[in-house]
Amino acid sequence: MLGVASALLLVLVLRGIFAGAIDQVTSYIRTSPATVFVSQEGVKTMHMSASALPPDTVERVRSVPGVTWASPIGFASGSVSGPQGRQLSYLIGYDTRTGRGGPARLEVGRAPGTGEAVLDEQAADGLGVHLGDTLTVLGTRLSLVGLSSGGSSITNTTVFVARTEFTNIRGDTDSYLLVGTEPTAAANVADRISAALPGVTTQTREEFATSEARIVTDMSADLLRLMSTIGLLIALAVIALGLMTATLNRIREYAVLKALGATTIRLAGSITVQVLWTVALASLLATTFAQLLSWTLPLLAPAVSITITSTALYQTTLGALAVGLLAALWPLRRIATLDAATAFRETR
Amino acid sequence: MTTADHTAPEQPTGRDRPVTVAVRGLTKTYGHGAAEVAAVREVDLDVHAGEVLLVMGPSGSGKTTLLLMLGALLRPTAGSIVVTGRDRRRVEIATTLERELPALRANTFGFIFQDYALLDALTATENIAVAANIAGIKGTAANRRARALLDRVGLAHRAAARPSQMSGGEQQRVSVARALANDPPVLLADEPTANLDASRGRDLSRLLRQLADEDDRSIVIVSHDNRLREVADRVLWLEDGRFKTLAGLVVDPVCRMQVEPTGPHVDWEGRTLWFCSEGCRTEFTADPQRFVAGGD
Ligand SMILES: Nc1ncnc2c1ncn2[C@@H]1O[C@H](COP(=O)(O)OP(=O)(O)OP(=O)(O)O)[C@@H](O)[C@H]1O
Ligand SMILES: [Mg+2]
Repeated sequence: MLGVASALLLVLVLRGIFAGAIDQVTSYIRTSPATVFVSQEGVKTMHMSASALPPDTVERVRSVPGVTWASPIGFASGSVSGPQGRQLSYLIGYDTRTGRGGPARLEVGRAPGTGEAVLDEQAADGLGVHLGDTLTVLGTRLSLVGLSSGGSSITNTTVFVARTEFTNIRGDTDSYLLVGTEPTAAANVADRISAALPGVTTQTREEFATSEARIVTDMSADLLRLMSTIGLLIALAVIALGLMTATLNRIREYAVLKALGATTIRLAGSITVQVLWTVALASLLATTFAQLLSWTLPLLAPAVSITITSTALYQTTLGALAVGLLAALWPLRRIATLDAATAFRETR
Repeated sequence: MTTADHTAPEQPTGRDRPVTVAVRGLTKTYGHGAAEVAAVREVDLDVHAGEVLLVMGPSGSGKTTLLLMLGALLRPTAGSIVVTGRDRRRVEIATTLERELPALRANTFGFIFQDYALLDALTATENIAVAANIAGIKGTAANRRARALLDRVGLAHRAAARPSQMSGGEQQRVSVARALANDPPVLLADEPTANLDASRGRDLSRLLRQLADEDDRSIVIVSHDNRLREVADRVLWLEDGRFKTLAGLVVDPVCRMQVEPTGPHVDWEGRTLWFCSEGCRTEFTADPQRFVAGGD
């Protein structure tokens, strides 16, 4: 039981880390106030992408019915460095007057002005910078005035600057356009924008997040996926072996039960019930532990985040159940042909 | 339960009661050709209701083989075994179809194993309840029956204990209780005292005696253990797959053992009585009336 539980735990944690990584990567998009995102034609993601919108895009989108607001951001990938190191980072220039496109949460400090930046607190920790210190972003030295959260992932962190500062660093091109709509109208409005502006790519927040998750899954999270697949295989092997030996170890007991008058069908039934219980209890145990880990681990290692999804949960449990039943019932042939007389024979 | 029965030398207890197991010409041969082993050869045997029958014999004499055939766990090579169930129906075990055997076992026999053979993962109560389940008693009724049986073997206070937490004697009593779960007319025990110390062994043999007396059950015990003689109504000696001079054996009126009519004896009131030893003979001659009550 404990073996099965630890195997399931391994899978859940690996899948949790995987899902957590994806969550982090899409955090900026998912926490954005915008319900629709407009990007350069053919560009569907932020990660590893460069997007440049035609200059009249903002005005044209604003005139599409259903659009309540439209706010452009500048976006670039590069690195941020401080006294203790350097990290890959997104640079996002946003309208500090509305805050749209800025950090989802400002933990301390204030929004950036000219020559200033807001950095994710985890990255600030790692780079050894504090409020008031100077950091170098894409070659430009900026003063740190605020710490945000939710902007670091396994791939990179995020630096926020004012739109005007972004222009100084990278030029005046709008990269993405964040669009506000009535929440329920997002899909309709996105369609209308697509129709009105054929030269750009328009996606709802969910579409944009999905594209982003997919590219990250395809690229940087390959390793994690491989790990969680191997973990799953190992876990299933452990479960299979465990339950199979459990059945084989009880051969004598099954002989005794047969001597008492139990039929093979009854024995198969009791094995099935046993496997169901084992897997149910084990997955309960594993879930509890994984959940505990997902709360405690980020406190110890902030860069790791674990998200236990219900899909992961029922997939692993069903997998364990299927493999478990198969393995436990595999020796059934032996039980069926088992001579009840051996109940008396194997006494010595 | 009459003391008169016990003391009547040629009429051991139970002979006048209904026969629950009738065995005729029972034979078991293992293997073929050169590897052939005749484990049991043309055995005839009647076991009566309420009788405790002890089968003794050297190792390899076929005791376990005989017991397995009686319990429908091993198919005889030849011969017949007719058991009379609680419902008075007679069943020929030797020819019962394979798929009907489980039900036959569940309804007719209780098995007691040398090493108790309890399920490790289950408590005392659950072990008994499982057997009750197999015999068709469901749910809470099975648990109630399990507790009642534990009480009966004096283990009510150990109901929640697992086998690993119980002494050998306790485990064997649980296994006796389990054997009673289906209220079988016949109890079969293979070396039930072999793993128990002297006093536990004696307790167990008394318990078996009591079960035969109270419920009119037939109990067949296969054992090397001489302690079991004191509770047995009859002791049969198996050697080379045969009961040794079963017909020729007589009962020592003093110790009630089966003896061959070759040793110490007395002629008394026109009969010849045989004894296992000089000691028994001396005891008898000192006060014959004590041992042959009624003198019939
Ligand atoms: N499955 C088997 N295949 C072949 N021979 C067997 C088998 N089981 C028992 N025998 C042989 O049959 C004979 C009787 O065996 P059995 O186990 O009935 O003896 P036993 O009186 O119970 O002996 P013990 O007192 O040692 O338990 C022995 O010679 C044994 O070797
Ligand atoms: Mg034996």
